Amino acid sequence: MFKVNLVTRDGASLVFDADPSDTLLDAAAKANIFLPAACREGGCGTCRVTRKAGVVALGSYSRSALTDADRAAGDILLCRAAAHSDLELTAPFDKAVIGFSRIPERRARITDVGPAGAGAVRLVLRYEDDPTHGRAAEFIPGQFMELTLPGTSITRAYSLANTPNWEGTLELSIRLHPQGAFSAYLAGRAEIGDVLHVKGPQGSFIVDDGSQAPRWFVAGGTGVAPILSMLRQMAELGDARESHLFFGVNTQDELFATDVVEELSKSLPGFGATLCVWRPGPDWSGFAGTPAEALAAALADSSTRPDIYVCGPPKLIEATEAVALAGGVPHDRIFSERFSPA
Amino acid sequence: MFCYQCEQTYRSDEGAGCAGSKGMCGKDAATADLQDVLLHVCEGIGQYLHRARALGATDVEADRFVLYAFFTTLTNVNFNAAKFVRLIQTAGEIKERAQALYEAAAASAGKAPEALAGAAAFVPAAELNGLLAQAAEASVKKDAAALGEDVVGLRSLVLYGLKGVCAYAHHAEVLGEERDAIYEAVEHALDLLASGPEEIGPLLEEALALGRANFLAMEALDAANTGNFGTPEPTQVRVTPKKGKAVLVSGHDMKDLCAILEATKDKGIDIYTHGELLPAHSYPKLKAYPHLAGNYGGAWQDQQREFAEFPGPIVMTSNCLIEPQPRYRGRIFTAGPVGWPGIRHIDNGDFSIVAQAAAALPGFAEDAAEETITIGFGRDTVLGVADKVIEAVKAGAIRHFFLVGGCDGAAPGRNYYTDFAEHAPQDTVVLTLGCGKYRFNRHDFGTIGGLPRLLDMGQCNDAYSALVVATKLAEAFGAGVNQLPLSLIVSWFEQKAAAVLLTLLALGVRNVRLGPTLPAFLTPALVDVLVQKFGVLPITDAKADIEASLARAA
Repeated sequence: MFKVNLVTRDGASLVFDADPSDTLLDAAAKANIFLPAACREGGCGTCRVTRKAGVVALGSYSRSALTDADRAAGDILLCRAAAHSDLELTAPFDKAVIGFSRIPERRARITDVGPAGAGAVRLVLRYEDDPTHGRAAEFIPGQFMELTLPGTSITRAYSLANTPNWEGTLELSIRLHPQGAFSAYLAGRAEIGDVLHVKGPQGSFIVDDGSQAPRWFVAGGTGVAPILSMLRQMAELGDARESHLFFGVNTQDELFATDVVEELSKSLPGFGATLCVWRPGPDWSGFAGTPAEALAAALADSSTRPDIYVCGPPKLIEATEAVALAGGVPHDRIFSERFSPA
Repeated sequence: MFCYQCEQTYRSDEGAGCAGSKGMCGKDAATADLQDVLLHVCEGIGQYLHRARALGATDVEADRFVLYAFFTTLTNVNFNAAKFVRLIQTAGEIKERAQALYEAAAASAGKAPEALAGAAAFVPAAELNGLLAQAAEASVKKDAAALGEDVVGLRSLVLYGLKGVCAYAHHAEVLGEERDAIYEAVEHALDLLASGPEEIGPLLEEALALGRANFLAMEALDAANTGNFGTPEPTQVRVTPKKGKAVLVSGHDMKDLCAILEATKDKGIDIYTHGELLPAHSYPKLKAYPHLAGNYGGAWQDQQREFAEFPGPIVMTSNCLIEPQPRYRGRIFTAGPVGWPGIRHIDNGDFSIVAQAAAALPGFAEDAAEETITIGFGRDTVLGVADKVIEAVKAGAIRHFFLVGGCDGAAPGRNYYTDFAEHAPQDTVVLTLGCGKYRFNRHDFGTIGGLPRLLDMGQCNDAYSALVVATKLAEAFGAGVNQLPLSLIVSWFEQKAAAVLLTLLALGVRNVRLGPTLPAFLTPALVDVLVQKFGVLPITDAKADIEASLARAA
């Protein structure tokens, strides 16, 4: 048994014992410390932390979740790593996203389902009242829920786009994948009134409340969901700092939630948005290109060195990180959440 | 950052004070620095207001702002750096207004206005980084090398005492009670601090003046609380939960509590008090709400565990807030001067969202076995039985009174207060106030001649009530307060307690035992002044201190 000391972004120290036969994620869970994780199979990068001292054995993982450069810098995935000595780890997330009791599992009913641009669905759920949790939707903007496909054990993780609320409403934006089991359900069979099993909130992609820097957000497709949640929360809290959304899609017909972006422009002081279309039609007058390209142009034009929050496919994350670093944003001020087709 | 304003400040062989990236309270360096800048700009406001007042011109809105601004900088109140950037900009605008007021008043009086230097001339930067760069000139430590720690420590005593005065005066002001004399004293202290005082004498005098001002502030707050909610009366308070939806209200602000009671009435939601709001149950107009169900938990330092287990929303109306933990981060609200980044703040008195949250959260699943404590022994109740008390003292049934009161905290040495209260002999009465009482208020103290041996007088500011009682009893005995068989066992943590201590010193109350540790800003030389001149005694061992107190009375 080895001692693991994990220090969070906000300086909290968590110590737990780890047996070499357990992943660090499981070892922490045995100590009732539920660290952020999503796929638990080395595929998403949600549980990435940095090893400062000690030896770990790392199982197989996706290079999109942990690049060779990240690994060379000491990063590991908690879901694939086992302790082979005492360990000193630093985490890029706050203590606030760590659970110290089991992740709640609840029932929620579909109250709305419909298209969100071409190839994506907006799904709205409402929690059923239960004696342990009531009906409140408590989460930190940026977090996700794990949904189980009715009648199966298939689960998928989707970020929440709304803000914590007392009505129990969960709003999700979901990209449809041609071969996806959940996609087939959402596109064809899902009906208002269906009950889904949901597990959450989970995830560590949340804003750093301790930072006073401007916040620039980069989103690809439905990766805008957690970012809309963060921005809506900033509007609710009256956060007047400079904030900017670079929201990109492939083609114009994929754009969605533009009404939310417009509403944010009115309700959030200091907010601006750049809608980006990679392959625009002739009638597109906005930015033509990827949101990472729009970010590069904005950084070049500005003396601001903002905190960068990026969510979308792995390639967008990589491009954004490269652009931000080249633009003078330090590595530890870039926060990302990758999502990959399941 | 450099901050040593509270009892838990970092102490090492190299000295005391929080000077890293974060204070012991959880306040980050940027927030601490911005608080220093805000106070500095307020000193500039005070320079102008003080002079304007001498010429007959006042700006009560500016005075109110200073009270609020100072309150936000108390320990465990506001941790939101963005809030301080905004407050500093507002303070800068108010300073310009105060300057205009002063110059107009001078012109009306046919006098040339003074061109003021220091804080009055300080122009806060427009944005965060500029403000942080200015923080060094606003630090309490800025003159330490030139003037020495004694002067800096005494300046700090004045500054922190002023914070306590402002906090109490703000509580009173929101309930409609204001005193010109308090504003005058606040302006005077700000002006003195802005002048960069270097002499011990005037600083000590100012500290005592603030002690007197704090007596007025506590009197105003007493008038505000009793005027709005009636005179406290002995009341049994349930300290275990009942089945049902629930809201927890912490801090000190009875106005907010009343607004929450209104927002939740007839909705099947129970309201529980926490910490320093326990005394609310003894006020007739508050206890008349049938859904004011009980008190939950203990003193502030246990909140992270207690709030996590509370199955409803939590509202923090004033100090003491500590970092909201994940398990209740989404259901805690701040109000008034309180703030934490990312936590929802209610600043318009509309607590309907709290009612919504309570309805949506599970509430208590079961009734816990009922337990109660008795509170509500304010000045009127105690003086209402003064004849019995005097008779009991004269007959020897009551040998001594111990006022064991003040703040609680996490420091291990604080079990002194539990030991003291519980080991006080059966022929003594224990008076208490503040949140320090949670260390012993569920202990069965029994009675003397039908009077409870433990008399809970209320919040920390009800030190006013205790002083009124002591003064009246002294009159009845034909003696001074210091001749009464009364010892004060005071626990301090933050700046309200510092102000109360200054009040005791200013009123000449001796026999004050202070702990659990002495303020870090008081140098050995300053402690010596308190000991020699004012009879302040650092606490030692509970049993020894009880014996020493009783021996003095004998």
